[in-house]
Amino acid sequence: MSITQDSQAILLLCSYLGIYASSEVKPLNLRQWNSLARRLQDLSMRPGDLLGLSVAEIQEKLSVSADEAHRYSGLLARSGILAIELERLNSSGIQVLTRADDDYPAKYRERLKESAPSVLFFAGEKALLGQPGIAVVGSRNLNETGAEAAEFVGNTCGVSGLVLYSGGARGVDTISMRAALQVRGTSVGVIADSLEKAIRDPENRFAIQRGDLCLVTPYSPNTPFSIGNAMGRNKLIYTLADYALIVASDVGKGGTWAGATEALKAKWLPVFVLKHELMPEGNNKLLENGGLAFPYPPPVDPMILKDWLKEEAGKIKPKAEQLSFF
Amino acid sequence: MNKNHALELLQKMIGEDKTFRPGQWEAIEAVAVKKQRALVVQRTGWGKSLVYFIATKLLREQNAGLTLLISPLLSLMRNQVEMATKIGLSAYSINSANRNEWDDIENALLKDECDIILISPERLNNEYFLKKVLPSISGQIGLFVVDEAHCISDWGHDFRPDYRRIVRILQLLPKGLPVLGTTATANDRVVKDVQLQLGPDLHVYRGPLARESLRLQNLYLAKKSERLAWLAGNLNKFKGSGIVYCSTVADVEQVAEWLQSNGYQAEAYHAGKDGEMDRVALEQAFINNEIRILVATVALGMGFDKPDIEFVVHFQKPGSVVAYYQQVGRAGRALNKSYGILLNGIEDDNIQNYFIDTAFPSEDVFLDILHALEKSEGLSMAELMSEVNTSNSMAEKALKILELEGAVQQTNEDRKIYFRTVNPWEVNREQIKRIQTLRREELAQMQDYVSHTGCLMQFLLGALDDYDSKPCGRCANCQGKGFTTELNPDLLCKAEHFLKSIEIPITPRKRFPAGLLLDQKIIIPPEWQNADGRSLSFYGHAGWGEMVQAGKYVDDYFSDDLVNAAAQLIKNSWTPDPFPAWICSIPSLSRPKLVSGFAKRLSKELDIPYMPVLHRVRETEEQKMMQNSFMQAKNVLDTLHIDSQIPSGPVLLVDDIIDSGWTLTMAGYLLRKNGSGLVYPFTLAKASKRSL
Repeated sequence: MSITQDSQAILLLCSYLGIYASSEVKPLNLRQWNSLARRLQDLSMRPGDLLGLSVAEIQEKLSVSADEAHRYSGLLARSGILAIELERLNSSGIQVLTRADDDYPAKYRERLKESAPSVLFFAGEKALLGQPGIAVVGSRNLNETGAEAAEFVGNTCGVSGLVLYSGGARGVDTISMRAALQVRGTSVGVIADSLEKAIRDPENRFAIQRGDLCLVTPYSPNTPFSIGNAMGRNKLIYTLADYALIVASDVGKGGTWAGATEALKAKWLPVFVLKHELMPEGNNKLLENGGLAFPYPPPVDPMILKDWLKEEAGKIKPKAEQLSFF
Repeated sequence: MNKNHALELLQKMIGEDKTFRPGQWEAIEAVAVKKQRALVVQRTGWGKSLVYFIATKLLREQNAGLTLLISPLLSLMRNQVEMATKIGLSAYSINSANRNEWDDIENALLKDECDIILISPERLNNEYFLKKVLPSISGQIGLFVVDEAHCISDWGHDFRPDYRRIVRILQLLPKGLPVLGTTATANDRVVKDVQLQLGPDLHVYRGPLARESLRLQNLYLAKKSERLAWLAGNLNKFKGSGIVYCSTVADVEQVAEWLQSNGYQAEAYHAGKDGEMDRVALEQAFINNEIRILVATVALGMGFDKPDIEFVVHFQKPGSVVAYYQQVGRAGRALNKSYGILLNGIEDDNIQNYFIDTAFPSEDVFLDILHALEKSEGLSMAELMSEVNTSNSMAEKALKILELEGAVQQTNEDRKIYFRTVNPWEVNREQIKRIQTLRREELAQMQDYVSHTGCLMQFLLGALDDYDSKPCGRCANCQGKGFTTELNPDLLCKAEHFLKSIEIPITPRKRFPAGLLLDQKIIIPPEWQNADGRSLSFYGHAGWGEMVQAGKYVDDYFSDDLVNAAAQLIKNSWTPDPFPAWICSIPSLSRPKLVSGFAKRLSKELDIPYMPVLHRVRETEEQKMMQNSFMQAKNVLDTLHIDSQIPSGPVLLVDDIIDSGWTLTMAGYLLRKNGSGLVYPFTLAKASKRSL
């Protein structure tokens, strides 16, 4: 496992690897990194060019304040410690992608532009990131029909060759993911915490070893759960997929509602909402707000679901104008 | 920053009149000024530590972070720490023996008041290091020093899997962060391999490796007792201190005990179990000349630096010429005259072959461990051992390799567990085979060395690709004289007695268990008792014991190494008198060939016939499952049957493991009753309560 100088620099500047409670420096947030990245681009420099520069050289080359140069230099100086941390991650099967890498998911670049996370940690088959597929989301608590539907979509993705994108949380996420993997389909879990622990789970491990699963997160692999992070990664589920299906949502609260609302507004992709007699109130509202109806029991045979989704999405004029779906 | 400043630092450390040796400044400049990667290949005592001390100082003056010194050494020698202090560097080591200092070290790291920190390669993967030490390094890392860098290469004589992790870390370092590797024992192939792994921009600085004061000599003394007698009779000819290297822990303890009993001030030094041996204290006492002779395994490691060692004597032949050069090179660094004497004997190749054979766990051990881990989220060592049928030490070896190859990782969150990573893994059969072949070649080269008639130093240097050397003029071959193999007969007699007393005896039972045979008296008639016997090993213990365990439960075959070891023991140290005229073995229905096959091969080695006169009429429970003497003896007697016609000479009665001793007692009783001569029981191992 090697790493390019550019990725090395981005990791040093933007990730929390090798940053500890005692550290005086804090890594750049996305806004700060974007501004530095623009500066580098204007100067025809690559991130890797910053490695090995002294504070004075950084200050001079980038025309930044002494404080700023000091901060960059302090972050870059931890390369030795970072190498030790990174080696340990690699040994456990966790690797890194940065925005400077060629195989960083193109869909994030296209759809999220500068909001695309600067660093991703992943375990498993990275080629899955951005392959045609459906993002299946929904709350942790769901009724029987919801669970059935989650399983149906998971199976359908699996047998029809679509990637099942999921948040890897309990409830809809896990049910649909498991259903996809059970039929030897493929899945991507965009998780918000504890990647290190997630890959120890035997089910995840087997799927990763088979090449059927990729777990990915923008947060350090040992980050504990937090609501903020969970909310922050919602868009990373939607923006890898071609279609989204909301299985069950509360109204006005919860991650599913927030994520779906964000997706409907951003129009990254057609957002379907599961529609049935016993559906929760949130589903209703999302349909009113522009969600496309996905009737349950399923409208069509699983094998032709892909065509049905395409056709349904095509009926909505504004969506059809979206780029890069097929 | 220039050479003059560096020279000032050098003089502050080792004296006003001193100057750089060729290569020293160049290496310092490469890492501290040009921020390059450098490999220094120089003989021990050349001053490699000066290079990284001065480089560290120069880097610190440029506000760089501390130096991470990765070394198999436990800690820096006291004199080295003093040298560093003279130029204002504070150096610390972290090892399991100095836990009481860890808080202070963390504090120094937090305040950026530590300039050099020494850790072992293993520690890079240690929970404490990753969770406590790394986060404390507030001043970052400015220089990586890899001591004994030849361990990186699996073409070297001392490839250490832990060094693979170091290589991976170095490969993840960006340009501009300097790396310094140091070694005294790298031949061309190893240097090339290190270069391949650390990148083509590795600058190599090589110097001549000859040791000016060393007088080498090889002496062949077949039997252990002869070599013990030689040691006792000759070590008092040296005035100064010295090291006696042995190949096994058991030999270290024996030789130390023997020397002590002959009035020498000698101590045993080896890696011990669970770090119970205070190695740092022993090293320090030896350096202070409070101990005159250290009897050591190779655990008395690389980089150990005592300038006034007068002699290094090997009790057995080491596995490779390069390892020998490194060990003998500890002698005479600051003396005009020192001695490197290699005793070698009949058991040497057996021991080395055993090391080669058991260097890697068998494929099954790896697969069993992975299989057990794969089903779980993680297992403790105890949980793992309940699912994997191998010895602890083999399991640990396998786990270490699996960890280094990314298949397994350990964590200490709630408790210490091992878990399977998501990385694919396969047994690297080719590498294992290649390393084993290499080890056999090295052993063959070692044999060439002991039988070499030309200059011995030149031979050693040739093996290290130092081609410029001339005959040294000092070794026994150059001088045509040296120590003799003549032995004091009293000492030899004493040594033989000493060895016998520490063999593992099988003491014959004199009584039947009460109630076993109604028509028998409880006492076994003396003429039907067994004679004294011997066991080769303690079951499962390092050395033969481990091999017996593998033979019984893994391979279902006792190796030729075991046959040879048994034959040596019987012929050369035990020497029962009258010597057995034939062999028979304890039969088994479930594994009819395991013990009998071994006994047959042993009979060939001993040149006496194998006669299968004992038979099982039905399978018994394993003796260890029998809870008491009565059950055990009955268990044997009910199932053993003997031919009516058996030879009348003394017999060697062979079994694999002796537990209660009832099997051998009852079989011996049957043999004697049916007309055999003396019955000498022999087993490959004696069960220890710990392992069975």
